[in-house]
Amino acid sequence: MLEFRNVSVSCGRTPILNSVSVSFPKGCITTLIGPNGCGKTTLLQCLNGVSTVTSGAVFLDGEDYLQLSLRERARRVSFLPQTRTVIPSIPARMLVEHGRFPYLGFSRKKTEKDVRIVEDAMNFTHTFPFAGQSVDTLSGGIRQRVFFAMTLAQDCDYIVLDEPTTYLDPYGQKEFLDMIRELKAQGKTIVLTLHDLNQALQVSDRLIVMKDRAIVAQDTPSKCLESRILEKVFGVTCKQFSDQDRTYYFFQ
Amino acid sequence: MKNHKFLIIPLLCLMLPASFLLSILFGSVSVGISDICSSILFQKTDSTVYTLITAVRLPRALGGLFAGIGLSVSGVILQTVMNNALASPATIGVNSGSGFAVMLAMLLFPHNVLLIPASAFVGALFTSLAVFALAYLADSSRTTIILAGITISSFLNAGINTIKILDTELSVNLTSFLSGSLSGLTLGRLTFPCLCILTAFFFSLCLGRVLNILGLGDDIARSLGLNVSFTRLLLLTLSSLLAGCVVSYAGLLSFVGLIVPHVCRQLFGNDARFLLPCSALLGGSFVLCCDLLGRLLFRPFELPAGIIMAFIGGPFFLYLLLKKKGGRRVNA
Repeated sequence: MLEFRNVSVSCGRTPILNSVSVSFPKGCITTLIGPNGCGKTTLLQCLNGVSTVTSGAVFLDGEDYLQLSLRERARRVSFLPQTRTVIPSIPARMLVEHGRFPYLGFSRKKTEKDVRIVEDAMNFTHTFPFAGQSVDTLSGGIRQRVFFAMTLAQDCDYIVLDEPTTYLDPYGQKEFLDMIRELKAQGKTIVLTLHDLNQALQVSDRLIVMKDRAIVAQDTPSKCLESRILEKVFGVTCKQFSDQDRTYYFFQ
Repeated sequence: MKNHKFLIIPLLCLMLPASFLLSILFGSVSVGISDICSSILFQKTDSTVYTLITAVRLPRALGGLFAGIGLSVSGVILQTVMNNALASPATIGVNSGSGFAVMLAMLLFPHNVLLIPASAFVGALFTSLAVFALAYLADSSRTTIILAGITISSFLNAGINTIKILDTELSVNLTSFLSGSLSGLTLGRLTFPCLCILTAFFFSLCLGRVLNILGLGDDIARSLGLNVSFTRLLLLTLSSLLAGCVVSYAGLLSFVGLIVPHVCRQLFGNDARFLLPCSALLGGSFVLCCDLLGRLLFRPFELPAGIIMAFIGGPFFLYLLLKKKGGRRVNA
């Protein structure tokens, strides 16, 4: 279980989050949703050290996460940031290999195990055919999958994905959500942010609803629907359609 | 892309000793190769040829070699740390910073040999930190870094010029110093800076993988468990040490630090583990060849290496820039 207890975050001198408590149960897919600027990314960035926690604590399986070294954190929780400040001009395979950095450090040579994990990650994300291509020449969708493969190569039990479907077309999004379900089936704990409420309801075991830099609700998708919290937060109305497989949600 | 690596790397390895040897054998005074060989082999320490080789050409060749290594490696590091293809010791003002510090040290404490490289390093470090801080405050866009660098650079160059004009006794040839030159070096002046360059170079070779991770951008580097601020500070210090030591004896050699890393990126891609050693090999040979050309072209006159470098490097760099359309992009 990954747990934030009364976490406050400031950016420079501006407080962004004030005493937020949320938990992400082990083996579940938990999705953070909320309007733009509600603090989802800031909250998650406590995990990779981009935002600084000013008070409170983060616990990972009962351990004080913020006391772990940066490298140890990267071996326990892998994090795929939302923005790409740099599109590297290196072969896709090399980018995925960088996912092994928390284990390799400055100088250790990669072993067969590292190679196998990298190849597994590329196969899992269907990026192996692009291994030799430079990342900056790949299309947005494939590029995103290569970055995802890099995150998987970190081989962590906890995987945090900040808006992973942003760069993807509808089919790519579906494929991505399928991959996330499969990772869950492998026993991984997934934390992600999504903008598509229907997708969030379909894929998640739990939802964390944020508004104005505070947590409004943490519950299962069905409870969230029942309480109509999504409609209140996003200012939309929800319509449901069902076929024999599942229920679809439409927000307008 | 991959296969020609294994052709070019041995070629580079051959080029470096070859250009080193050539710059010892040839120069503004023509000496027969057999004379040189015999005076070195039989240790004819009293002959003029022996003195010429050991007191003039050897220091000069060593100086050129280490200048090339220092500036190219410093360029590779700066480009990655600043995430900017245009960064180099010259373009972000590191050279001018250390040049200014050298002039200041010469003015205040003349005849202190060790103080010059030390002040060059301090000047370089101070400038690169200042440029980085300025760019960070102004939200770190890529143009900001270069603009800040150019501004600081011209400010400090004005300082260099002022010092030189006010103190006419200063034993520096301003033209040579500002464009970069290897004439008049002695082994005594070289030992300390060259040892520093060598140490910093070997240290930076161990940081290839870290440079690669830093090149992915701050967010991803952090997510992969890299202490970004510490690493950046360490790398800026290393690159300042490399560039500062070169400036302390060769002046403001400008083109190497920008061109050599780029040529190597074109040849080998953006893997810093290849870029660092290959840039060192190419940079060393490039400076040596330019210096040799400068000595040979208008004999008995001598053009400073920096001027030849700009003549050759400029057009070649433009050619690369134009050819690059649709080709490999710089990782920055």
